[in-house]
Amino acid sequence: MVTPKDILRKKRAEAVNRIISKGYLSTKRVYVGMATCEIAAGSRDVMEVFRQAIANGLVDVYLSQKGCAGRCNLEPTVEVVEEGKIPVKYGRVTPERAREIVERHLKKGQVIAEWLI
Amino acid sequence: MADLRKDNNVKEVHYKLTLCDGPTCIHNQSKQLHQVLDAEIKNRGVQNVSIHLSGCLGMCKKGPILIVNPGYTMYGNVKAADIPEIVQSHLVEGKPVARLTIIEDHLYNRFFRIFGDVDFFGKQMRITLRNCGIIDPENIDDYLSVRGYEALAKVLTNMKPQDVIAEVKKSGLRGRGGAGFPTGLKWEFTAKAVNGDKYVICNADEGDPGAFMDRGTIEGDPHTVLEGMIIGGYAIGAKKGIVYIRAEYPLAIKRLEKAMDAARQCGFLGKNILGTDFSFDIEIRLGAGAFVCGEETALIHSIEGSRGMPRPRPPFPAVSGLFGKPTLINNVETWANIPVVILDGGDWFSSIGTETSKGTKVFALAGKVRNTGMVEVPMGTTLREIVYDIGGGIPNGKKLKAIQTGGPSGGCLPEQYLDTQIDYESLAKAGSIMGSGGMIVIDEDSCMVGLAKFFIEFTQDESCGKCTPCREGTKRMLEILTRITRGEGRPGDIEKLERLGGMIKKSSLCGLGQSAPNPVLSTIKNFRAEYEEHIHQKKCRAGQCAAMLSYTIGERCVGCGACKRVCPAGAIEGARKEKHVIDAAKCIRCGQCFDVCKFNAVSKA
Repeated sequence: MVTPKDILRKKRAEAVNRIISKGYLSTKRVYVGMATCEIAAGSRDVMEVFRQAIANGLVDVYLSQKGCAGRCNLEPTVEVVEEGKIPVKYGRVTPERAREIVERHLKKGQVIAEWLI
Repeated sequence: MADLRKDNNVKEVHYKLTLCDGPTCIHNQSKQLHQVLDAEIKNRGVQNVSIHLSGCLGMCKKGPILIVNPGYTMYGNVKAADIPEIVQSHLVEGKPVARLTIIEDHLYNRFFRIFGDVDFFGKQMRITLRNCGIIDPENIDDYLSVRGYEALAKVLTNMKPQDVIAEVKKSGLRGRGGAGFPTGLKWEFTAKAVNGDKYVICNADEGDPGAFMDRGTIEGDPHTVLEGMIIGGYAIGAKKGIVYIRAEYPLAIKRLEKAMDAARQCGFLGKNILGTDFSFDIEIRLGAGAFVCGEETALIHSIEGSRGMPRPRPPFPAVSGLFGKPTLINNVETWANIPVVILDGGDWFSSIGTETSKGTKVFALAGKVRNTGMVEVPMGTTLREIVYDIGGGIPNGKKLKAIQTGGPSGGCLPEQYLDTQIDYESLAKAGSIMGSGGMIVIDEDSCMVGLAKFFIEFTQDESCGKCTPCREGTKRMLEILTRITRGEGRPGDIEKLERLGGMIKKSSLCGLGQSAPNPVLSTIKNFRAEYEEHIHQKKCRAGQCAAMLSYTIGERCVGCGACKRVCPAGAIEGARKEKHVIDAAKCIRCGQCFDVCKFNAVSKA
């Protein structure tokens, strides 16, 4: 008999496959905080910068929104996560900073130390 | 792993070590371990390593715990004798010591992989907020990938409703809305009640000024709350759930709706959940933002379409709730804990926290503190750890004056209570309450009378008016406080406030009235001198009560005329390049001269 656990296992495997096929493991994952607090601090514009960059040909990036991690006074926050490396966490990201992150970090692999949390 | 050395981000890998600094690990010599580790790293001249201390990581049986990032390698039962091997093999040669690594697939603390090296997060332990800021809240795939809905599947596969309730009881979980009633008992009462249909309600009517824990939880991880509710429905035998959320949270509502649609499509919600004969669906009801509707009986009235007013209990909602049917009502944070209780087990959950309060609590840390934000700490953490270790202390070199917990129903604790452990009983003993999780740090620039007045203004405004003590009593208290802050306080006012406050507490119908005087009574108890100064000397030491201030211009004045130009009352006189003077009779004490002076020549007292 198929149990609820079996059904869930299958669904989870499908979900994980979908995520991986979008480049979860092979790319730089960029998470932009998009809770009410982050949006109020201006994260929509930041998200837009990354979206535009991808639309304009930036590759090997997995862009995702995320909820609030709780770091209110440093919002908007953006994380760049790569398998096997220490996750990079940027605070107070403005659209200008986001453009810099695209150019320097995502394209050239340079971590911008002065904006780290 | 060895490839990590060739990491092209940096020439050398920066290792970030996290050492568990929880009570059990400390008992197991983690402090000594820290010293040995530090010495070993220095001795071998290993560069680019930093050590961070964390709060309890919840793996006490395997403590002391050491985590090495990148890679999130976790070492358990670490002995001082193991340290040289770890340092040499892992930090120098880049090869983790397989013999000592442990693999944990707990739900909590997943945020650690990403945020573990930031001090703000180090002392935290995340159960409720385990996925907040980690996953995409609008994508059910993300939730599924972090073991989402596994607790539901487990419950439906091999747990009877009474097993679920037993597990929740074992966990020691208590209501996170503020009152702290044991959740398992509530579930049991509702399960036993027999009267046709039953309902499950999620109370997301977050009303405390400055509190945003529920919003953060729903916006960051809506599926967790839904999963908790579905499990609750199964446990008590309900078919219908309602999320009562305030209309001021549009994004949270949108994400909940999206999550519900996705859950229905996947078969987690609706008819025949996961192929079983259990059916359960959830709908959203919007509240219009009345504070009193966070009180469960008022909330139920509001859902029924009546005016949001409380009624006497008993009967409790567990027996007669929504439409007179047995109703299980829990707060957002409580629901979010349920999947963890089921998957990691009640025994594990009850190993976190203090004797009487288990698990963690989310706080919205705000006010005069460097790092404001949403924090989740194990019960038993002290206020000092929250304000200084997580919050980073008070900015601008100011002194801490008090910590306000519990919002308009809570109290102000002065500095001597900094080492109070956070649990329901200790906070109550100290004269405040746990509440739903607002925490405001107050420095010496705040006037305690003004603060009490702010909260009474709020509760007075939000009193539904049903019972006289609350409706009239808070109004009178507000009048007296307004008078005191205007410099018109009379001898005997303090005693009057105390008498009135005690009366309101004793004779009000619901929690709103019963707790409304708390901010006043606790500030009188702990800061009586400040009240007395206001009344007898007409002095506000924080310089916040405008009516009691007088502005004067001192010797530093260079006669620039900036204050004269800005003064709306024309109260400042003086020739150019000569010292100016304020006419106290004309001065309206707006403080603009003080703000505009570049030479710090204006003083207020």
